[in-house]
Amino acid sequence: MPHSLRPAERGAGAFGESILLIGPGAALLIGAFLFPVGQILVLSIVPPEEGLSIWTNFARFFEDDYYLRVAWRTFRLSVIITLVTAMIGFPLAYVVARTPRVVGYTLLLLTVLPLMTSVVVRTFGWIIALGRGGPVADLLSLAGLGARDATLLHTETGIVIAMVQVLLPFMTLTTLGVISTIHPHLEEASRTMGAGFYRTLRHVVLPLSVPGLVSGSLLVFALSISSFVTPNLVGGVRLPVMAGAIYQQATSTLDWNFAAAQSTLLLAAVLGLLIPYLALTRRRHG
Amino acid sequence: MSFLELSNITKRFGTFEALRGISLSIERGSFVSLLGPSGCGKTTLLRIIAGLETPNGGSVVIDGSDVTRLPPEARKLAMMFQSYALLPHMTVLDNVRFPLRMQGSSSTADQRQRAHEALALVKLDHLADSRPRQLSGGQQQRVALARAIVYQPRVLLLDEPLSNLDARLREDMQIELQDLHHRLGLTTIFVTHDQEEALSLSDRVVLMRDGAVERDAPADEIYDDPGTPFAADFLGAANVLKVLVEPSGVRLSNGQMLTIGQAPKNGEALLILRQEDLSLGEGTLSLDGIVEARVFMGTRVRYVVRVGDDTIRVLTDRDQSAQPGDRITVGFSPERARWAR
Amino acid sequence: MVKRFPASALIGGGFILLLILVFMLLPLAIVAAASVTAGSFLTFPPQGFSLRWYGEVLASTAYLGAARTSLILATAVTASSVVIGTAAAIALHRRVLPGTSVLAALFLSPLVLPTIIFGIGLLIVASIYFGGPSLVALWVGHTVITVPYIVRTVAAVLSDADPQIEEAARTMGARPLQRLWFVVLPQARAGIIAGGFFAFNVSFDEAVVALFLRSPGVETLPMRIYGQLEFSPTPAVAAVSTLMILLTIVLIVAIERFLGLRRVAG
Repeated sequence: MPHSLRPAERGAGAFGESILLIGPGAALLIGAFLFPVGQILVLSIVPPEEGLSIWTNFARFFEDDYYLRVAWRTFRLSVIITLVTAMIGFPLAYVVARTPRVVGYTLLLLTVLPLMTSVVVRTFGWIIALGRGGPVADLLSLAGLGARDATLLHTETGIVIAMVQVLLPFMTLTTLGVISTIHPHLEEASRTMGAGFYRTLRHVVLPLSVPGLVSGSLLVFALSISSFVTPNLVGGVRLPVMAGAIYQQATSTLDWNFAAAQSTLLLAAVLGLLIPYLALTRRRHG
Repeated sequence: MSFLELSNITKRFGTFEALRGISLSIERGSFVSLLGPSGCGKTTLLRIIAGLETPNGGSVVIDGSDVTRLPPEARKLAMMFQSYALLPHMTVLDNVRFPLRMQGSSSTADQRQRAHEALALVKLDHLADSRPRQLSGGQQQRVALARAIVYQPRVLLLDEPLSNLDARLREDMQIELQDLHHRLGLTTIFVTHDQEEALSLSDRVVLMRDGAVERDAPADEIYDDPGTPFAADFLGAANVLKVLVEPSGVRLSNGQMLTIGQAPKNGEALLILRQEDLSLGEGTLSLDGIVEARVFMGTRVRYVVRVGDDTIRVLTDRDQSAQPGDRITVGFSPERARWAR
Repeated sequence: MVKRFPASALIGGGFILLLILVFMLLPLAIVAAASVTAGSFLTFPPQGFSLRWYGEVLASTAYLGAARTSLILATAVTASSVVIGTAAAIALHRRVLPGTSVLAALFLSPLVLPTIIFGIGLLIVASIYFGGPSLVALWVGHTVITVPYIVRTVAAVLSDADPQIEEAARTMGARPLQRLWFVVLPQARAGIIAGGFFAFNVSFDEAVVALFLRSPGVETLPMRIYGQLEFSPTPAVAAVSTLMILLTIVLIVAIERFLGLRRVAG
């Protein structure tokens, strides 16, 4: 029966009222969000000198070994970070979904707490932990994996460890969203049909969680290639990533056109990942 | 012209025709039920009267003025919703006072006074300071009722108000609703899918089907003479038999001939027999059949009996007993037979 | 009764879980531990116990100034984004406007677009059209990135609310503004409060947009901490960071009380 509120039935006043309500927000987002992002696109095709091609800034990026190495490092690290997060995030999400509410809830809270603390504070913790004499470096030397007085600061391993911690909540929450829609009866049915716990996990839960793992991976990868605070502080100047390089050019060398071109490339990569991510999550919610 | 006039109301949702030209005249002070299965358009019609939906065609006239284009807040009606729609952040008293406050016609003290009176009318004055969620379903229901009657609305609209209550509470509420109607004399329109509720509460039943009025008559009349097979079925699970009217009598599908007065003209016709008008054993008229099933229902027993190609239901007292497979006779008196139009 | 989980899964799972939790909480715990050292250098484990670095922070005009800037900024951001976000969420919830789903996507997009891209765009616009970055530019930038949180929390509570209540209010004679004030805003209350705490937390902790919009005389706490971390941090940085962690915990508890984290997170 047509019970729900129908747009046309709210009366003529509702339209004007909605315009008034959404107006300030729409103006803010168009003026202070879409316009600045559009400005990047415009600047990226403005050549440094008149008469040059609109692709000049992009050509500079692709012709310089340095930037290509930075881009390759960014890509490689992000792939590793995404894989590690998925491997840790799946069991964590499963446990949160299947343990008693209180336990799962506490776990969720403890996962979200780091997400909500400032990125500089979290990174600071890793600087101490990974640095000389820090617990992680000590642990590694105890296990015979590193020299005494070793440090993971300014190493790619260090960047991966710190970034995984920063991004794990995104993977866990996205995967949890999918796992919590898997009815426990499916697992029980699988058990009654002779599959053990691990085989049930492998053949029932994991395949059904794939949409969550895929969208979580897309999100984590997108966030990973575009973050700069953690890689900059942990990796230092010797291991620049793309976002860090953009930050340097925008704030120190003030080479905006080139920074805009790199941002455009990053934006294209991120949109290329986020659009499938949004499509995946929307289908699930819709 | 009646107090509330609906003329040729049509309503479409996309390609779905929810209402196909409904016209109704409702007298001041009457209690009318809109009855029908879900999807028949009864709630849509109620919402159009309230102003919550705009019809595609037709008009709504209340007390001589056309309100078709008027928003709900300007219509001075009251509607009680299935979910009760109590404001969770306000006390019971503030909920009941809400319409008075919106219209801002009197002082706060006066509004509180009237809200208390309305609450007293539904015997809930002692809960005035509670929050809706602290009340039981039946109490919430009565708060919603008090809120609906507090400002003497021109029409009281009730949208399946009893459907969320259990059987006992529902009976109590029915009595209360009737009592209030008699005391306040409010013009009341009541939407329900429950035929018993419609028959017991209202003095007029409008039976709807697929967006049109199937039958519109006083409650007792519509029960005694449903008029159409759909109405017969919906209003009391009556038996509808396809028969052939011949000059010598009425021929059933099993070949039996009956003599029934006031039969329509010769040819195919539909004979309506109420379950409770039938009994096991010989009557003035008798049908031969075989018992297919026996359903024990406490004070009564329902038999499903096969008569030729037709299956009929018989509602009898407990003492008449037959078992599935038995060959029996079903009797009835000819004046109880009705013809579908 | 058959055991749902074999012992190996319970033990192994418990162990993995413990490791993950240690891993997740490690940096925060280390910062807190390092802040109470009695020594002069940043070490873990700390040397002895003292609150001297907290005293140092509370006596430092630079830190107090940054804290003041952060508080003013976060308060202003919370106010602006609560007003803008709540109004937008109500309009989006009503679905009266054409293209509501496109608008909804627009309002949530700052949540998914990497802040670095937004940050550089804002820096460019502020520099070209407004004579350089400023606290006002930062306020606008933070409002943009916090509005989606409000829209989400308010939309979530509104979609749980009984839609018949607003209709009932109409039949009882409530006009549009009265419905907004007496029905919709009370219905949205929990979402507004939780979203406000969210916005405050995000703005107070935000570093990326702040770093891009660095301008003379404007320094927030995260900007100051970042600057210290680039060189050689002292235990005072740990003390400030610990205070920020505590503030976040307080805000999380508040959000949890008003709305429940699961609804915001999911």
